[in-house]
Amino acid sequence: MTTLTPPPGDTTVRRPGPPSAAAVRRSPRQGGTVLAVPALVWYLVFMVGPLIAIFVVAVLHWPGMLQPVSFAGLGNVRTVLGDPVFRDAVRNTAVQLAVALPVMIVCAYMLGYYVAQKPPGHRVIRYLLFIPGLISTPAKAMVFYAALSPDGLANGALESVGLGSLTDAWLASPSTALACLIALDVWAGIGFTAVLFAARLGSVPDELGEAAQLDGAGHWRTMWLVHFPVIRDYVGVVTMLQFLWTLFGSAQHVLLLTQGGPGSSSTTLSFLVYQKAFIAADLGYSQTVGVVLFLAGLVGLLAIRRAFRQNY
Amino acid sequence: MKLGKRWLPAHVLVWSYAVLLIVPLYYFLASAFKTNDEIFAHPFALPTSFGFGNFRTAFDSADLGLAVVNSALVTVLALVLTLGLALPAAFALARSTGRLASAVEKVFSLGFLVPTFAALFPTFLLAAATGLFHTRTFMVLFLPATAMPLSVVILVQFMRTIPKEMEEAARMDGASTFAVLRHVYVPMCMPGIATVLLLNFLTFWNEYLYSLVIIGPDPAQRTVQVALPTLKSITGTDYGVLTAGTVLTLVPVWVVYTLLQKRMQQALVSGAVKM
Repeated sequence: MTTLTPPPGDTTVRRPGPPSAAAVRRSPRQGGTVLAVPALVWYLVFMVGPLIAIFVVAVLHWPGMLQPVSFAGLGNVRTVLGDPVFRDAVRNTAVQLAVALPVMIVCAYMLGYYVAQKPPGHRVIRYLLFIPGLISTPAKAMVFYAALSPDGLANGALESVGLGSLTDAWLASPSTALACLIALDVWAGIGFTAVLFAARLGSVPDELGEAAQLDGAGHWRTMWLVHFPVIRDYVGVVTMLQFLWTLFGSAQHVLLLTQGGPGSSSTTLSFLVYQKAFIAADLGYSQTVGVVLFLAGLVGLLAIRRAFRQNY
Repeated sequence: MKLGKRWLPAHVLVWSYAVLLIVPLYYFLASAFKTNDEIFAHPFALPTSFGFGNFRTAFDSADLGLAVVNSALVTVLALVLTLGLALPAAFALARSTGRLASAVEKVFSLGFLVPTFAALFPTFLLAAATGLFHTRTFMVLFLPATAMPLSVVILVQFMRTIPKEMEEAARMDGASTFAVLRHVYVPMCMPGIATVLLLNFLTFWNEYLYSLVIIGPDPAQRTVQVALPTLKSITGTDYGVLTAGTVLTLVPVWVVYTLLQKRMQQALVSGAVKM
């Protein structure tokens, strides 16, 4: 995949031609490749190493940091698959992805198209759309906590319009906890994703849309039948990113807002990894779920890539 | 293209979403100056007085002052280290044409597909094994590694646009490889460096889960993102204090965003989709 939003000043990419013999003699390979080593080592030690370690810990029986470790083979896999909490987590993650991802991408695409048409006030909109990209996860969670806690904004608003009977402890009710988490994903995800789409749509030649208009196509059809196919590839890349962020990032939201509860009604796979490692101290179990999560990420990426393959 | 009357629903929908984005911020800013009673009675009213009582309480009860210092320390040192590692690496990769270099570059670009959260527990083990558990030092060392793929790829792209003749001219004057990096490449890819700094400033300052697990809850070491959620429980949720604390953590980011809006937007857009 290539970069589709080049940085400013990237217009003069040099394609190194075959160097003439004289040039080669004059400037022999002036060393320097070794300069990439520290960064590479850093990356391997802190990122790739731990990633591999997930697979190692997953085959260990390790009931707590200071407990003796023994080899468990596929024992953890059996425990995990037989655990109803794991099945709940799989279901919750599936629901979360199946609802949040399409809503986010479709809304963001339409919003991005809207902004790219430069309607009145588009600068203000653009400024605002960046907000979710700027604020930290705890701050976002605090926003939702203030809105959805029993004496928070949502209930206050319902009471003030006379719908007091509809109030609920949104984050602490089994039927709405997961929905709240999905709402947080969607609320935060649309804005930033829309900006990405708007930036990409801005580089689609205007003539394309104008030609479609002359042929009598409205904005709706131009948006989906003309522009969408052009940036289909890009939509795929953005979908992959959001997929990864939702799949892996949900642990933080769950931790801050619902702790996976009530029961396991809002436990997602990535929160289960966290919870088993740092709260329940069942390390082999935790990392087995980690492997499942990793494989789910891989399969999801390949599936999304296939679905959005450029087909013209 | 002209936007006709039929766009009315679109305008309405877009602006309602914009309101959804701005209202929580307004609510937070307004509540930071109110008491719990005022917040519940008139959630959207302007505060009647602008006292800093809530900010002071937030500072005291969650030790936010110290936490801000810790966050700033971790962020700045990690940024310095990130540049220290990524600049030479990008320099090497951008100039060499060998097969090894392109393999290394591929490793970095694949790094985007590794979500940083994936290896939380093994990273925790690494911290314990190196004896740096419960210290800010480990975060300073660790955060640059998470930023390496993005930083290297962005910098390589910028450095590729620098003409070879620039280096040849410097060599004629007897410049060493290091001098070429320092006096030719670094000044010429300042926009790239700015992009890398801005993006990583955001991620480092906002980092939560790793800081929580690795630095832990010790008020002397913890960062502001870890300290913030504790306001929820300590005070039996005094919303005035909670919102004041949240506003406080947003101030640095908001200041940078407003000062460097154009550049920051470009950085975020170009940084998100680099695979």
